Amino acid sequence: MDTIIEVKPQEMLGKVAELREQGYRLVQIMCSMANEQFELTYNFDKKCTLTNLRCFVSQGEAMRSITEQFWYAFIWENEIHDLFGLKFQNILEGLDFQGRFFRMTEQFPWNPNNGVDLGKVKGIDASVTNAGGEKNA
Amino acid sequence: MPKNTVIPFGPQHPVLPEPIHLDLELQDEKVVRAIPSIGYVHRGLEKLVEKRDFQQYVFVAERVCGICSFGHGWGYSKAVEKLMNIEVPKRALYLRTIWHELSRIHSHLLWLGLAADAMGFESLFMQSWHLREIVLDLFEQTTGGRVIFSVCKVGGVRRDLDAEQVKLFKKNLKMLRQELDSIVPAFLNDSTVASRLKDVGVLSEAEAHAFGCVGPVARASGLLEDYRLSQEDAGVYLELGFKPVLEKSGDCYARVAVRLKELFQSLDIIERALDNLPEGEIFVRPMGFPSAGECFARMEQPRGEAIYYVKGNGTKNLERFKLRTPTNANIPALLHMLQGCDLADVPNLVLTIDPCISCTER
Repeated sequence: MDTIIEVKPQEMLGKVAELREQGYRLVQIMCSMANEQFELTYNFDKKCTLTNLRCFVSQGEAMRSITEQFWYAFIWENEIHDLFGLKFQNILEGLDFQGRFFRMTEQFPWNPNNGVDLGKVKGIDASVTNAGGEKNA
Repeated sequence: MPKNTVIPFGPQHPVLPEPIHLDLELQDEKVVRAIPSIGYVHRGLEKLVEKRDFQQYVFVAERVCGICSFGHGWGYSKAVEKLMNIEVPKRALYLRTIWHELSRIHSHLLWLGLAADAMGFESLFMQSWHLREIVLDLFEQTTGGRVIFSVCKVGGVRRDLDAEQVKLFKKNLKMLRQELDSIVPAFLNDSTVASRLKDVGVLSEAEAHAFGCVGPVARASGLLEDYRLSQEDAGVYLELGFKPVLEKSGDCYARVAVRLKELFQSLDIIERALDNLPEGEIFVRPMGFPSAGECFARMEQPRGEAIYYVKGNGTKNLERFKLRTPTNANIPALLHMLQGCDLADVPNLVLTIDPCISCTER
């Protein structure tokens, strides 16, 4: 089995900065739902060896972005937001797609508490266009 | 101050075999910024792991992509085998290596054909895809399938190679090598190809590391990222004398050169594996269901490193499966390379990361 080190959400950015200093590469950030919480796992690689960090974030809370350390983390942070509905704060300018990175007809489809039709969500206009200029279905 | 124009590149575009979407912000003919959006054909295959048992899901994992299909089946099986503490027989590992490297040849030939087509070199496109047919025939002769083989399963493989098949394999590999020798100069020595690819989309080694690049994109910039160097799978690749192909210049030309050299490297690996195929079983029956726990497995797919995560709960269904594909890791570098390039170079730049949207939209 792989070792996964659990850290507090507020400590994650510091740990990520340490790993970057040591020459690690961010491999991915993944999310699962665990007991109504977001379970975030960050994988880093150095010389074919993985180092894994994990934290839990409650529904309704936001997670601090790590784009200031690894700017390409925006790929996974936007994916997690669009599929699960977890908001990341302090994403570097221009890298927060605000829910339009994935083109979907359903909002946050992998979050059992938010699997609602985009057109029925209060405050979201179903006629808004996404990044490609197409209307949301 | 010139006004910026936004033009959509994809999801349908003559140069794209699969639907990726980029919004290109232009100032005259120069790209100022590229904005990606994903999800055009998102299939939710990861979620399907909750509905299929751990053995059935191998077939789903294989269907993540039609080109590196075998590798995805192997990567998923590897993660489950790790979770269940299954030691795969050495012969099965060698057979997996043979089919996986043949898939790499298939993938690179397909890509070289597409790259030639994008450059307007139609005869080279046809020649590359003609050679790909030899590979597909080999798959059919040894697995029964041309694209999806379903020979990989949790615990080993379904099919073995007998002496006659090994002989046929070697004969076809020899023929393939001779034919490859004839197309390599067209890619590497042709002045038209060089003028389209040299010094275009340059990515330094430091940038490749900073953007988390994997696979041929990283290796073309001199960055040593190749999971075949790991000791996993009993170090089969190291036993077979694997050494990664590296280029230094980091431009589109280097990315073509890496893939061309990897074709011959894969041929060498397959030939050595066939010569040293160990005797023994090809399958170990899994006992029970995957235990509660989680683990990661990694594979060096033709496009780069893929990472497979599985989480078991003691039942026949896994709780979670997650796949990070190589294209996902190379998109940030592509966005960087597109900044400041000419609009005419966009197709070549997009193609040289060999984007697999089928994998990305798993």
